[in-house]
Amino acid sequence: MEFQFKRQIFGFMDLLRFKNMVKVRRKHLAAGSDRALPASYKVNETAKILHPGYMNASLVRVEQNSADTKTYILETEQPFYFRAGQYATLGCRIGDSEVARPYAISSAPREALNKTVAFTVKKCGFFSGYLFDNAKAGDRFVVGDPSGTFHYEGIKDSRRVTALAGGSGITPFYSMAQAVADGTEDFELTILYGAKTEADLVFKAELDTLKSPKIKVVYVLSDETKEGYEHGFLSADLIRKYISGDFTVMMCGPEAMYAFLDKELLAFNLPPRRIKKEANCIGNRDVKDAVFNLTVHIGDKEFTIPASANETVLTSMERAGLNVPSKCRAGGCGFCHSKLINGQFTIGGSDKRRLADSKFGYIHPCCTYPDSDMSIIVPKA
Amino acid sequence: MKNYDAVVIGAGNGGLAATIRLLQGGARVLLVEKHNLPGGFATSFKRGRFEFEASLHELNDFGTKENAGDVRDLFDQLGVTDKIEWLQIPDAYRVISREEKIDALMPFGIEAFIAQMEKYVPGSRLSMEKFFSLAETIRSAQAYTSSVNGKADPKIMLSRYGNFVRCGSYSVNEVLKSLKMPKRARDILNAYWCYLGAHCDDLSFTHYASMVIRYITRGAAMPKSRSHEISLAFVERIRELGGDILFNTEAVKILTDAEDGGVGGVILDDGTEIKTRHVIANCAPHLVYGKMMDRVPPEVVKATNARKFAGRGYSLFLGLDKSPDELGIENHNYFLYDTMDSVKQYDLMKSIRTNDVQATVCLNRAYPECSPEGTTMMYFTTLYMEDDWANVKPEDYFKTKEFTAERMIRRFEEDLNTNLRDHIEEISIATPMTYARYCGHPQGTIYGYESQYWDGLTPRLQMMDEDHRIRGLRFAGGYSMRLSGYSSAYFSGDISGRQTVGDIKREG
Ligand SMILES: Cc1cc2nc3c(=O)[nH]c(=O)nc-3n(C[C@H](O)[C@H](O)[C@H](O)COP(=O)(O)OP(=O)(O)OC[C@H]3O[C@@H](n4cnc5c(N)ncnc54)[C@H](O)[C@@H]3O)c2cc1C
Ligand code: FES
Repeated sequence: MEFQFKRQIFGFMDLLRFKNMVKVRRKHLAAGSDRALPASYKVNETAKILHPGYMNASLVRVEQNSADTKTYILETEQPFYFRAGQYATLGCRIGDSEVARPYAISSAPREALNKTVAFTVKKCGFFSGYLFDNAKAGDRFVVGDPSGTFHYEGIKDSRRVTALAGGSGITPFYSMAQAVADGTEDFELTILYGAKTEADLVFKAELDTLKSPKIKVVYVLSDETKEGYEHGFLSADLIRKYISGDFTVMMCGPEAMYAFLDKELLAFNLPPRRIKKEANCIGNRDVKDAVFNLTVHIGDKEFTIPASANETVLTSMERAGLNVPSKCRAGGCGFCHSKLINGQFTIGGSDKRRLADSKFGYIHPCCTYPDSDMSIIVPKA
Repeated sequence: MKNYDAVVIGAGNGGLAATIRLLQGGARVLLVEKHNLPGGFATSFKRGRFEFEASLHELNDFGTKENAGDVRDLFDQLGVTDKIEWLQIPDAYRVISREEKIDALMPFGIEAFIAQMEKYVPGSRLSMEKFFSLAETIRSAQAYTSSVNGKADPKIMLSRYGNFVRCGSYSVNEVLKSLKMPKRARDILNAYWCYLGAHCDDLSFTHYASMVIRYITRGAAMPKSRSHEISLAFVERIRELGGDILFNTEAVKILTDAEDGGVGGVILDDGTEIKTRHVIANCAPHLVYGKMMDRVPPEVVKATNARKFAGRGYSLFLGLDKSPDELGIENHNYFLYDTMDSVKQYDLMKSIRTNDVQATVCLNRAYPECSPEGTTMMYFTTLYMEDDWANVKPEDYFKTKEFTAERMIRRFEEDLNTNLRDHIEEISIATPMTYARYCGHPQGTIYGYESQYWDGLTPRLQMMDEDHRIRGLRFAGGYSMRLSGYSSAYFSGDISGRQTVGDIKREG
């Protein structure tokens, strides 16, 4: 079937052209501009605002929202942007170790373009408690990359969003409400905000001053009966009272609230795509305590540290002062991705690893409890 | 100070393959990757009940045990094939183009492909046979060229691979017209052009034909657990061979040797200095010469400035809450075009407001279990041929992202007469900004340097030696001599890895 290809009238011209290809390319390469190659590119610069990575920040102001909750307002070293509802890590040096925790951003995306970001944190746990007791204007912090998918997704979500907030779970919705009010986001936001008493409501005054026909806030008090407030827990009846038709539910609050609301929502027969939940950090587990040896390889260094059966591998590493990567602390972002050399473990919550991770023995230390001595390879933070 | 025979910068496909080759050649190697995962674009990510493939539509030139392609042979040599579970893609492609009213489903296998074309375009058979005959010669000529490391003997080339030389300087359109291929057959055959990203007046025929014949004769493959499985298999192999890997570690500088201007070391982002005389960079020469090296020879600056970035990527990922049957999605991969006039189409692909091209995959049609029962997983990709995304301000970014996704979904729904919109459970969107951040490529380029006429595959391979201008510095991946795409990136890693082993041995 071999035929002879020919394009020019004289076949040798085809050959000549082929021979010249190197010369042609050489000529083009030599004709390039001699100005220095660019040190950066526009798309990469915008990407640096959208995904700034770790930013140095200084604490500008602390506002007390309630007896146990404060808002920390920081100035970042560069402008950045995020989607209302997203979280970022806030961290600093405590003693010898770098400590960081993920918090929903409570300020508006627009302000981040002016290098202002706020986190609203309830006093509890190690880092949040440290902040509450110690953080003061002028302190240095590190703010991480805005992350997570707990935000309005215009293409898939209903334009009517029912926000179910429990306690400090109001923070992402406060950011969203500001974004709706200033026109950054375009959807109808009904927030059912549950707290114990009126005094526990943070941002009530602020939410009440946001004037937008697209925003409605219903305050629900469980431990107090008061005029102008709903009483009880967030429930199917309450949702029905304020919303009808097609809607997307977004929930942010403690696990107990999710468990309760999951049952309540059955009444609406919503498909999974209509329900979004912000993940909570994986805490301690309740088993008989044991202490295992955890061997950690970071670069060419090796550390052997104690690891409690009750705590995640990530917590044990941090407790030992190792500087290791973490972001969501809920098993979902994969940022703590580490290689297991040997050892037994249990995953807290559902297994959110990629398929090939389980196949090749990778773990997410933030949601992994040791069941024996373990040895792992962890990237540097 | 730590000392290595070679440092590989970047654990993308090219960097991973290069690292294994270096280790197999006895070198002590450090691989550094700025991300926390290996693979570069070759990765996956989870959203709810779905694990999305980040980039791979189909792996070209892999084949099966019985009908092995060059990539499988390479993977066998690297020792990774059996660490991965493979699937075969059912059909070559379905192409739909509005202007010409084309809707063609093309099968794998030369005979089947030609027969199907004859059905769509009566009278196309002879020209199609000629096309495959040329393509076969091109493939053999390339195999010969690689076997002699690019130093082909012109006499052998002409006597054994005459047609390769004769058609080697022409574009796709020039050759297909010379073969008197009917226009409609050309249109259907050219469907893959967007995989290479240069239009068919510019795209070298040999490059295109060599890709097509590999797809058509060897089928296309896919790892079961997405491309993340390939990337982790490579890492596994690198560890078996004693290589060192550092994730979350960016190489910020390549130090030069004061005496010969060649490679002297590498500085990492935490200030660590690594001593080495050999670097394989799995990133753009633009970045290496623009910010990682201090003394760059003027001819290298000129040669780098002369080159043009290929397409900037955009992808939409959808997890849908109905099965492909319920949604009426019949095929694995689709190419949707406005027109098969690739020059015109290329122009439309320059701006956000006019680009409607998409290469779309429904993975369930190759692997029904890739998502839970009753669901469907799809990904849609397009390229932007200019930097329109550079005009998008941060505050308009999310709206622009959704505007484009909206447009892609609408186009698919219209062309395939289906409804996706009401079934979206998970959605994720990657833009040039995402790619710029993820792999660090300039302007969010995902295809390296464009396969322009003068900078196509053949002259790049012929000039491999000449392009190696700085002692100890070689490149792997989408920007190097084999151009872009998974297979090409692995091959370039293989070539640069072996060449560096040779360099090290010569130094003694
Ligand atoms: C959406 C999409 C779809 C695609 N579909 C296909 C397809 O179906 N078939 C196909 O064949 N090809 C496809 N491609 C193309 C293919 O993915 C690429 O050609 C290939 O992955 C390129 O490999 P690479 O070796 O150039 O590495 P890249 O993937 O570009 O990775 C480079 C790596 O180097 C790292 N790095 C860069 N600079 C530094 C530094 N200074 N220090 C440390 N690390 C550094 C980066 O973090 C990155 O991990 C697609 C690409 C995309 C984005
Ligand atoms: S920190 Fe997100 S998965 Fe571990």
